[in-house]
Amino acid sequence: MTVSPSPLAVENATLGYGRLAISEGLTVDVPDGEFTVIIGPNACGKSTLLKALARMLKPSAGRVLLDGRDIHSRSTRTVARRLGLLPQSPIAPDGITVADLVARGRYPHQGILRQWSARDEAVVAEAMEATDITDLASRSVDELSGGQRQRVWIAMVLAQQTPLLLLDEPTTYLDITHQIEVLDLCAKLHREGRTLVAVLHDLNQAARYATHLIAMRDGAVVAEGAPADIVTDDIVEKVFDLPCRIIEDPETATPLVIPRARPRDLG
Amino acid sequence: MSTASTPVRAAVIRVGDYSVRLRGRTVAAVAGCVLALVAVASWSASTGTFELTPDRLWAALTGSGTHAEEFIIWTVRLPRLATAVCVGACLGLAGAIFQTLTRNALGSPDILGLTQGASVGALGAIVIAGASTTVVTGSAAAGALGTGLVIYLLTRGSDPSGYRLVLVGIGVAAILAGVNGYLLTRSDIVDASRAVFWLTGDLAGRDWGQAATVAAVLAAGGIATLVISRGLDALRLGEVTAVGLGAGVGGVRATALVTASILTAGGVAVAGPLAFVALAAPHIAARLTGSSRSFLCAALVGALIVTVADAAAVFGVGGRQLPTGVVTGVVGGVYLMWLLVTQRKKGVMP
Ligand SMILES: Nc1ncnc2c1ncn2[C@@H]1O[C@H](COP(=O)(O)OP(=O)(O)OP(=O)(O)O)[C@@H](O)[C@H]1O
Ligand SMILES: [Mg+2]
Repeated sequence: MTVSPSPLAVENATLGYGRLAISEGLTVDVPDGEFTVIIGPNACGKSTLLKALARMLKPSAGRVLLDGRDIHSRSTRTVARRLGLLPQSPIAPDGITVADLVARGRYPHQGILRQWSARDEAVVAEAMEATDITDLASRSVDELSGGQRQRVWIAMVLAQQTPLLLLDEPTTYLDITHQIEVLDLCAKLHREGRTLVAVLHDLNQAARYATHLIAMRDGAVVAEGAPADIVTDDIVEKVFDLPCRIIEDPETATPLVIPRARPRDLG
Repeated sequence: MSTASTPVRAAVIRVGDYSVRLRGRTVAAVAGCVLALVAVASWSASTGTFELTPDRLWAALTGSGTHAEEFIIWTVRLPRLATAVCVGACLGLAGAIFQTLTRNALGSPDILGLTQGASVGALGAIVIAGASTTVVTGSAAAGALGTGLVIYLLTRGSDPSGYRLVLVGIGVAAILAGVNGYLLTRSDIVDASRAVFWLTGDLAGRDWGQAATVAAVLAAGGIATLVISRGLDALRLGEVTAVGLGAGVGGVRATALVTASILTAGGVAVAGPLAFVALAAPHIAARLTGSSRSFLCAALVGALIVTVADAAAVFGVGGRQLPTGVVTGVVGGVYLMWLLVTQRKKGVMP
């Protein structure tokens, strides 16, 4: 067996829904130990790619490889201990409390006779602390604001304690402070050795936090590499049809995208 | 970092690597149901046309009663009681599984068409073949299982939400109700009255053989439920999250549907379609435990409803016994209305 250097990869895959193909012959390697961010316009297939990487969507051709082996040939529980997914719009059962929902993240580590270990308890408390929701523990999830709810779901995925994390738009619904907090948390997890893949819409945040960028359009990868090489006026225009200028972020020296003013804005 | 307060309210028993979580309120509810069940059972075993004082009941149970006492207890009342308990538990458990699977408060075998399927089996045997009770029982079970299979085949594969299951079930139920109406109209008066009696549901004259059959179904269903209970719990979070957490969703869903169908088939075949038991039991259990994750409590509440209803049916109205199904229908119907009126605001977690 050839062992791929990347823990997670899509190999020459056709992804789609029923007869509708979104991506054809798509090949993506998730580099080990990197914080990969996927960018691209709405409906270009970012979530579709993430679903394929998380085995929610089976490619109609090609393969998805986890540690060099077909992800669909492995037990779903084994996979759940390797990678965690935050879906774009998860649903919570009515009336479930925050602590209960976060505790569900321990599922792949539990069994009929291993229902709640001391470790489960510590990990859940830690995940709630990291996402700043400890005070919400006994609140009902459906009574929370969109941003609070998003952080609860992130905590659930954190409680799963997987070396690989796939996050579909983890910052939607969040105010600017919490967006930065979530991204800082991601950066911290990355520093601690986890491999992350996130879909983000804010190019400046993507450029600031990602260590590896993948730009997609119409189901295909247009460019990938270090943020400084990807966030250029050429590529941004090619991917988003948006004329722009790139300046240096005065805080981090990463690229900052400034959309060009249209003639009417100039007055 | 503080990990002081337990975020999940439950007592945990740990022995080495093993741990079991017990919610205080669930334990209390289960214990309460068991006590209530014992109380109702002893009451209904000692009352009726042949009254027994508690010490005579004890004597009959322990084999030191008179011949008449022992006959009435061991041959008439206990088999009927045992059947009531097992049928109720089967229906309560089936209802809880269906409600979890459909993520819908109305997901019960009555709504999904399994009860109607059993009725088609029973009515077909009565009207077309004029069959014996044993054949009617078998045919009813086959009807329920067949319906479960049809629903499974129609909803297999793509099922992102439980809604599809509910809608397909409602459609199947409507078709089968039509078949039942047709069977009734083409039957003669003797068969028709037998059919209507079966459709009401009753426990009169049940023997140990029937009690043992339902008990076996209940035991098998209970074990299967235990095996998939964790998976069902994960499915409450929706398909995508459940898969993400490592639940074998396809297998859990198929096993759950088969298990709940068999439980319904067992219960309905022996007692007829006792109205509303499967629908109401999981809701009452959820109210008692404050969480709807206890399948055991749903089964116990089901047993309690049927036992109470059967005791009331034997007690009767104006000196005449009633079919059990009439009473469960009234009890369940009243409860459902109460639920709809009071729960408009906010439900318990499904
Ligand atoms: N479950 C589905 N069934 C059918 N088509 C789908 C499904 N989910 C997505 N699609 C289609 O696939 C295409 C890609 O969708 P996808 O969700 O991958 O986009 P995205 O890049 O994540 O977009 P966004 O930025 O809006 O989240 C879209 O045209 C969408 O309509
Ligand atoms: Mg998306």
